[in-house]
Amino acid sequence: MGKKTLVPLGPYHPLLEEPEFFKLYCDGEIVKEVIWETGYNHRGIEKLCQSKTFEQVFYVVERICGICSTSHPFAYANAVESIPGVEIPERAKYIRSIVGELERIHSHLLWVGLAGHFLGYNTLFMWAWKYREPVLDMFEIITGNRNNYAMFTIGGVRRDISPEQATQLLNVLEDVKVKTTMLVGAVMDDPVIHARLKGVGILTAEDIHDFGAVGPTARASGVDIDVRRDDSYAAYDMIDWKVITAGSGDVFAKAEVRLLEMYESISIIKQCLEALKKTEAGDIKVKVKEIPPGIGIGHAEAPRGEVFHFVKSDGGNSPVRHKIRAPSFTCIPTFRRSCVGGTISDAAIATAAVDPCYCCTERMSHVYNYNTGKHIMSAAELIKLSQEKTKILKAKLKV
Amino acid sequence: MDIEKYIDDIITKFPKIIDAEVVNIKRLMIYIPKNSLLEIAEYLFKNLGYRYIIVTAMDSKEGFEIIYHFSDDSSGWIVNLNVMLDRDKPEIESLTPVVYGAEWIEREIMDLLGIKFLNHPKPERFLFAEDWPEGKYPLRRDYVEEEK
Repeated sequence: MGKKTLVPLGPYHPLLEEPEFFKLYCDGEIVKEVIWETGYNHRGIEKLCQSKTFEQVFYVVERICGICSTSHPFAYANAVESIPGVEIPERAKYIRSIVGELERIHSHLLWVGLAGHFLGYNTLFMWAWKYREPVLDMFEIITGNRNNYAMFTIGGVRRDISPEQATQLLNVLEDVKVKTTMLVGAVMDDPVIHARLKGVGILTAEDIHDFGAVGPTARASGVDIDVRRDDSYAAYDMIDWKVITAGSGDVFAKAEVRLLEMYESISIIKQCLEALKKTEAGDIKVKVKEIPPGIGIGHAEAPRGEVFHFVKSDGGNSPVRHKIRAPSFTCIPTFRRSCVGGTISDAAIATAAVDPCYCCTERMSHVYNYNTGKHIMSAAELIKLSQEKTKILKAKLKV
Repeated sequence: MDIEKYIDDIITKFPKIIDAEVVNIKRLMIYIPKNSLLEIAEYLFKNLGYRYIIVTAMDSKEGFEIIYHFSDDSSGWIVNLNVMLDRDKPEIESLTPVVYGAEWIEREIMDLLGIKFLNHPKPERFLFAEDWPEGKYPLRRDYVEEEK
């Protein structure tokens, strides 16, 4: 065995929602072992929630994640409303689903852009993020905020969707659908992307079961799970949609699942908007007086997979225990299987494939020689390495 | 899922089970003694193919309560194994040899509640910085925040 080199992939940047640190132990260019370290931004949210009232917890958990900031309130609502057994109005169910699916669209567009950037497709990055903007604007029109929407409350939602907003939203969705088709074409028909992503970062169905990985990461390995269907909540059992899966388990399959899921989300929102016409405007909330003692376990399908909330109430004002599990907690350890055996230049896209909020990595990671501690390269150079590999492939394939 | 038959079957299979109750819609809680955790978890995870979700630990009035959450995705039921640990001796066998993905959450519980997991492959600090004092566990009831 040659020299073992330590390649730290890791942002210590406090602005990130998930600052992780990966130690890639490499022999030459091949990754031999991945060690995950975390805790750089431990905020003690679970402890904090125990000091807030049940109502206030919504606005705390919303701030766990800046990108999928409705998935945590969604799971929390499912958990806490199940304790007294509240049935929310039908209109509120549709509005919840609309917000949840809009979020999936913008989150997947963000991922497509970032993945493009890591591969050296900066035009794809610019396009995807440009087409994400109208979705965020739509959030502002419907909820009042581009992020941290503050839409959910115990017993329903806080704002109604007017017929004018619905029309506006439909127009935006039509546009997003056209652009999605364009992005799907740009990814699926590009021979270089096929060469870069196929067979890279493979996870088998067995790996998924071992780690308990969820969401697009699991579905790309042929594991047909989706909380929206398996343990249906909000309006998902009242409309017609299907779960997207792929079989190969590599990064390409994960991209495919995410891209095709956007079509499903668009279709779900359209059906929900249609159904809103049949329900009475303004009937969006039921009053919940108190949360009795009991246990509430709720989960929701976020863009990255299942978000899980456990709430225990003793009949008081605040939860006595609130456990939260975000999808990245079980998806990130899969790097142990997906990166090992691949090259360092593939590690960037293999780790990005589970969508672990990766944006700050490029500013913060550096490559040192494990034995001498000498600086070898920075993260910008690491991404350059990945981009150069694409360039070489492009030249080879003459595109 | 016929839940009454399910409960009967699992109690027949593992007579050590203390109790099993439906705590909410599609949520089953099985109370087990700590020495039968591994065999029951193995049955759920490997034989029945349930998905491992996460482990919740809390400081209850009676002692330290650990809840292992498993999901049966074909029916939407969440099956929970509830173990109560003695406050004076908070230790239990690690689930990691059975469920590989449990390594990280057990390290988190070690940090936050000071519960010891026996035979854990890497019983090191997970969340806290190196300068965090030994023996201070923020999720315990007797934890007091220091004045700044």
